[in-house]
Amino acid sequence: MLSIENITHSIDAWLNGTFNPTVAVLLESLIVGFCVIGLFALLGLILVLMERKVSAYMQIRLGPNRVGPGGTLQTVADTLKLAMKEGLTPDGADKFLFNLAPFLVIVVAMMILAPVAFAKGTQIWDINIGVLYISAVSSLSVIGILMAGWASNNKYSLLGAMRSGAQIVSYELSAGLSIISIVVLTGSLRISDIIASQEDGWWIFKGHIPAVISFIIFIIAVTAETNRAPFDLAEAESELTAGFHTEYSGMKFALFFLAEYVNIFIVCAIAATLFLGGWMPLHIGHWAGFNRVMDYVPSSLWFTGKTFFLIFLIMWFRWTFPRLRIDQLLNLEWKYLLPMSMVNLLLITLIAIKGWHF
Amino acid sequence: MMSASAVVFYILSFFILATGLLAVTSRKIFRSAIWLLFSLTGIAGLYFWLQMEFVAAVQVVVYVGGIVVLIIFSIFLTQQSGKDLPAPLRSRAIFSVLAVCAGFVLTCVLLRGYVFVPAGHSGIAGTGVVDASVGNIGAQMLSTSEHGYVLPFEVISILLLAAMIGCIVIAMKPKPGDK
Amino acid sequence: MFLKKYISDVFGAVRSLLKGMRLTGYYFTHRKEIITQQYPDNREEMKLPERFRGEVVMLHDEHNEHACTGCTACELACPNGTIKIITKFDITPEGKKKKALDTFIYHLELCTMCNLCIEACPTDAIKMAQNFEHSVYDRSELTKKLNKPGSKIREGVE
Repeated sequence: MLSIENITHSIDAWLNGTFNPTVAVLLESLIVGFCVIGLFALLGLILVLMERKVSAYMQIRLGPNRVGPGGTLQTVADTLKLAMKEGLTPDGADKFLFNLAPFLVIVVAMMILAPVAFAKGTQIWDINIGVLYISAVSSLSVIGILMAGWASNNKYSLLGAMRSGAQIVSYELSAGLSIISIVVLTGSLRISDIIASQEDGWWIFKGHIPAVISFIIFIIAVTAETNRAPFDLAEAESELTAGFHTEYSGMKFALFFLAEYVNIFIVCAIAATLFLGGWMPLHIGHWAGFNRVMDYVPSSLWFTGKTFFLIFLIMWFRWTFPRLRIDQLLNLEWKYLLPMSMVNLLLITLIAIKGWHF
Repeated sequence: MMSASAVVFYILSFFILATGLLAVTSRKIFRSAIWLLFSLTGIAGLYFWLQMEFVAAVQVVVYVGGIVVLIIFSIFLTQQSGKDLPAPLRSRAIFSVLAVCAGFVLTCVLLRGYVFVPAGHSGIAGTGVVDASVGNIGAQMLSTSEHGYVLPFEVISILLLAAMIGCIVIAMKPKPGDK
Repeated sequence: MFLKKYISDVFGAVRSLLKGMRLTGYYFTHRKEIITQQYPDNREEMKLPERFRGEVVMLHDEHNEHACTGCTACELACPNGTIKIITKFDITPEGKKKKALDTFIYHLELCTMCNLCIEACPTDAIKMAQNFEHSVYDRSELTKKLNKPGSKIREGVE
């Protein structure tokens, strides 16, 4: 049966048979690097188009429908336009940091991708502290935003960067607590262990209501961490023009834009991995027949399906809810989400200790 | 011929030292913070190189994601933080170089006195090679046995609680009725 | 009771958010609700809403007669001087002089389609038409004469 696992294994075997091990590892890193860059480009094209179409249908519009069949090539045209635009650097800007910021943001996005399991046996780096690594590296992306806001030498950018910083630092807490609740249930930080523990059912079903609550809190927190509406105070068009990337144009702007969408993909992939079983097909306990039928669907399809469902959910939020004010934003985190996720974590720990989950 | 591992070590060390040097010599305070950030990230990379993944991740979470962000915030909130800092006094520069040299010598002396155990030995008591898995770190943190860390852990918790309450008291607005 | 209010706040918030999501979800799944008109493509069968305002026209019946008495109420009502009415004096069969409309000048390029002139007109002589394709190569073409040549006021309109 043709699967991604078999393809990667045969490439690995061929490279190791043809070259010596060091060269083979280097070549494999190169291939992985190209795959990641290709994935980024593809994600950018697909997610931007998806966002525009989803927003259009939710606002009773048609959306892009001129370039290519049904408007499918619209984002390709947009990318070409951005690639050909001049990348301006403002006069009073800190040139070095201004140019470094978009690359930092995109490199951080690439680094978070490492432990994500795309399909059965398809993972770049199965590090033993998987989810901790993810939450650690994702805290780096705020630096890129702060850097961009500062280096632009623009009031709007600075305000946007500060809002974004305050927001990400506070929402990281409840995102972290939600991740920990699944770690408590699984007993491991490694992504492959977390997925393997969901072989007889996804955690969102196995963990009763507390797991559902921590899933909801996680989705809210990551929506805030990726700076998306209703938490888009960092770029709030009506107040700050474009927030931290007001001064960016051309490819440097495109990198910020791409990083935003890649980050959405990553957080949705993580949510799918933690709560919806990653690439694990829908299994119900010991119903062997049902489970075997579900196994016929390839694991990569399961992963993509779940991830894109969550992405759709986050887009749905964006095009339904109005933007929060900064005080409402901080109230939501410190007065509602954080106490709730703490109590919830206690409940989950109780469930895990007593073995009440299925 | 160096092994690939040694090459990585030297690259990381050079990166840490170079960015650290830039952090203290830069005349722009925001750039200093960014160089400090890179230096701390390099140290996290060094922990990864040592295969102490948990410590590396904690380094990133605490220092890079927490402390540097706070430093940057305080820079944002200060007046005239975009201007170049004035050049330090000659005497101050000399003393800082002396302090750096003293610190370097102290580290060298300490390192010389330390008995290094080659990696690969399993965790035999007394050899210094420890099991660095997350589970073991967690168990040690709350262990009440001889080498357990439960007392320092609790003391630090109380310290942080005191700091938090202090912050709340400072930030609290007096009610209009109070004096 | 603080805790009770806290919990009811949370549930109220969740319920109202779900209500909003149900509406957008309904629009997302029901394509027939889409109101976009693909304008240059559907030029023939395009349907404008009844109250759409494109330009001011004067109504003429089949005898080339209009209902404008030249009272200049519309000219006075217009906030930005779009309408200019030139009057003349007709001789009635009884030999009396009577004020009548000579030329109704309408500056389309100044008009904001505010509808105040139509509301001011006592005899319903003018109304808003739905034609909106007004682009021309010369600005002077936008200054229009609304009463048709040779037209006169309908009998019985005062």
